[in-house]
Amino acid sequence: MRRKSLIASAVALAVIAAGLTATAISAKPTKKSANSIEVLSLWGGSEKDAFLKVTAAFTKATGIKVEYTSARDFIPDIQTRLAAGNPPDIGILPRPGYIATLAKQGSLKSLSSLGLTNKYMAGNYSAGWLKLGSSSGKLYGVPAKANSKSVIWYKPDSFKKYKFKVPKTWAQLLAITKAYKAKGLVPWSVGAGPNQSQWTLTDWFENIYARTAGPAKYQRLFTGKLKFTDPSVANAARIMTQIINNKYVLNGVQGVLGQSFVGSITDVFGTNSKAQLFFEGGFVGGIATQQVNPALKPGKTIADFPWPTIKASLDHPVVGAADFAAAFKDTPEVRQFLKYISTGPAGVIWVSTNAVTSPNKKVPARAYPSVLARAEAHQLATAKTFLFDGSDLLPGAFGDTWGFALQDVIQKPGNIKSILSTFQSKIQGKF
Amino acid sequence: MSTQPLPTPVAGPPPGGGLRKRAWSGFERFQGLLFVMPALVVLAIFLIYPAYYTIRLAFYESDFHFGFFHYLGVDNFKELLTNDPDFLDLSKFPPGGALINNLRWVIFYISLSLIIGLGLAVLAVRVRYERAVKTAIFVPMAIAATAVGIIWLLVYNTDSNIGVMNAVWHGVLGQHQVSWLGNPAIVNYALIFAYVWASVGFVMVVLSAAIKGIPMEIMEAARVDGAGEWNIFRRIMLPMLSLPISVVTIWLFINVIKVFDIIYVMTGGGPGTTSRVIAFTMYEETFHNGRPGYGAAVAVIMLVLIAPVMVLNVRRFRTEKVVA
Repeated sequence: MRRKSLIASAVALAVIAAGLTATAISAKPTKKSANSIEVLSLWGGSEKDAFLKVTAAFTKATGIKVEYTSARDFIPDIQTRLAAGNPPDIGILPRPGYIATLAKQGSLKSLSSLGLTNKYMAGNYSAGWLKLGSSSGKLYGVPAKANSKSVIWYKPDSFKKYKFKVPKTWAQLLAITKAYKAKGLVPWSVGAGPNQSQWTLTDWFENIYARTAGPAKYQRLFTGKLKFTDPSVANAARIMTQIINNKYVLNGVQGVLGQSFVGSITDVFGTNSKAQLFFEGGFVGGIATQQVNPALKPGKTIADFPWPTIKASLDHPVVGAADFAAAFKDTPEVRQFLKYISTGPAGVIWVSTNAVTSPNKKVPARAYPSVLARAEAHQLATAKTFLFDGSDLLPGAFGDTWGFALQDVIQKPGNIKSILSTFQSKIQGKF
Repeated sequence: MSTQPLPTPVAGPPPGGGLRKRAWSGFERFQGLLFVMPALVVLAIFLIYPAYYTIRLAFYESDFHFGFFHYLGVDNFKELLTNDPDFLDLSKFPPGGALINNLRWVIFYISLSLIIGLGLAVLAVRVRYERAVKTAIFVPMAIAATAVGIIWLLVYNTDSNIGVMNAVWHGVLGQHQVSWLGNPAIVNYALIFAYVWASVGFVMVVLSAAIKGIPMEIMEAARVDGAGEWNIFRRIMLPMLSLPISVVTIWLFINVIKVFDIIYVMTGGGPGTTSRVIAFTMYEETFHNGRPGYGAAVAVIMLVLIAPVMVLNVRRFRTEKVVA
């Protein structure tokens, strides 16, 4: 009898243990309360704050709560969650290339299936933006925010002091660089280092490439129709090292590789400024004036000018980028949210923060409080040639791999050819 | 369940009898199996099955669902070892790639941790404020590796007003500021050093406990016989510490083959791919580049490197008693 009960209890124990583990495994990801959605995005700092203002207005209007998940390194986050069958409701995706990858694998819901018709979208966004959020003719991404990446940031009062004129050509920009150097100042700060800041180099390259090889080659290069071993690529990379070298950037090339993106903004526009010029997109304005140094005075201590021309015949095309909101799930809340952020009023709230520029046609210029943001919106709206950020067009995670390759380029300008052919062999057949 | 007291086996051997090593009956075996069953079930679900799955995956091309897409045979391994300079690059000198970087970690991380840890253990025993010293050195052990990474990002900052390293290097020694994490020749060692800082406390605590286990008489006797402190350390302490040292070494080895977090936080494997290690490559390929099969092949290589050391370790535990 006793022995029997012992066995019984042992068996019971084993069964319970097995049962527990089994339930632990089969348990579906806990359902969020019906009235909330999760948005995953790489935005942090001022960009995140701006977005939260929009979501707060959405919650107020609809009662639907928005849970914001931040993921700077968003690809692994999304991949793991997809594999686990637990993606966020909505993802903010900066790369049309990645949107296409996700759409092809069937992970995204098309906007028309969510009630946002092509006609409605075309009423709020220009065809160019919509095309970038599409894959195989279907629309997946709501253009959430746009940025020009063809601006260079400078200090107007310093230009005034040294009687520099805003440069119109690359030669003039180099002359100012040399003049700063001659005065004992460090001309540039570039942050392309730890961790995940290599993308700044890809933006340098893209602006130079668009201005030396032209928009047509640019499109072909970043869509897999032109090889990275083309001489035009090496040429642009070489021009990039005319500025990003040990002479002209803060702490030399290794300083570039040791500095983060925001860190390098601080190097120029922080209270303890160490360099004079900075290149990155329009979003720098918001980060510099809101996060880095609130004492900055737009127009006096911080301003930007359009990226100068390199080849006169190619003028100055605008390289820009946008982040798109795409849905992984189809729920009434998701539909409402996407609908809301695509409206003019939501765009107005968004741009009123000065942190972003809206691609939405219904957002008027006067909605931008800051001159910096207004100028950026104007540049985007009036660009004769607009090119989307090339590295973001590359498939999957190749945008990062390309940044790594450019990190190699600035270290070993003598090896440009072999670095490019290695990269080409990696990306071959991946488009 | 019954609340009866545990039964004493009716047919068991008389207490103190000489039948201790009798063969176990079938029933007892069954009973034993029942008792380990819950643990086995858990182990099978969380360890054995995933391991089997990973090994199988390594021979396939896989997609983001981790499915078995397309059988490749050993192609993943071939590619890794012969055609992926980010993993193994023997074409230049010194050779590069994640595997070689991990070898650097093995050599420098283990030896530095051991030397510094042992030195501190030996010295700490000799001072009155031993506990305070030990606590201070052990504290980093209690910090999460990600936090360690953030701390050292600040320490290595290129700005000498922020980074302690450059404050000393530039401010005190008057050298040019160094980008510790931006220089491919330095970055691996900078990372290793940060990780040594985080693990040396553990080595010290284990070894200093072992030192306390050495009978005082032996050392006293040696001193009476005129042995100097160096000789006592070299000929008495070291041999008597050989077992705890080997245990700690194995712990460090396993730690270093799977090192990931600190690299993820501090460099993301960069600049370029110069500070990648095996575990980081696995993550990068699986989740970033969307090639779980290729990533699984990296994991298998990692397993192959760790397994023999584990076996050795288990054997040792079985045959000897650890003094620590």
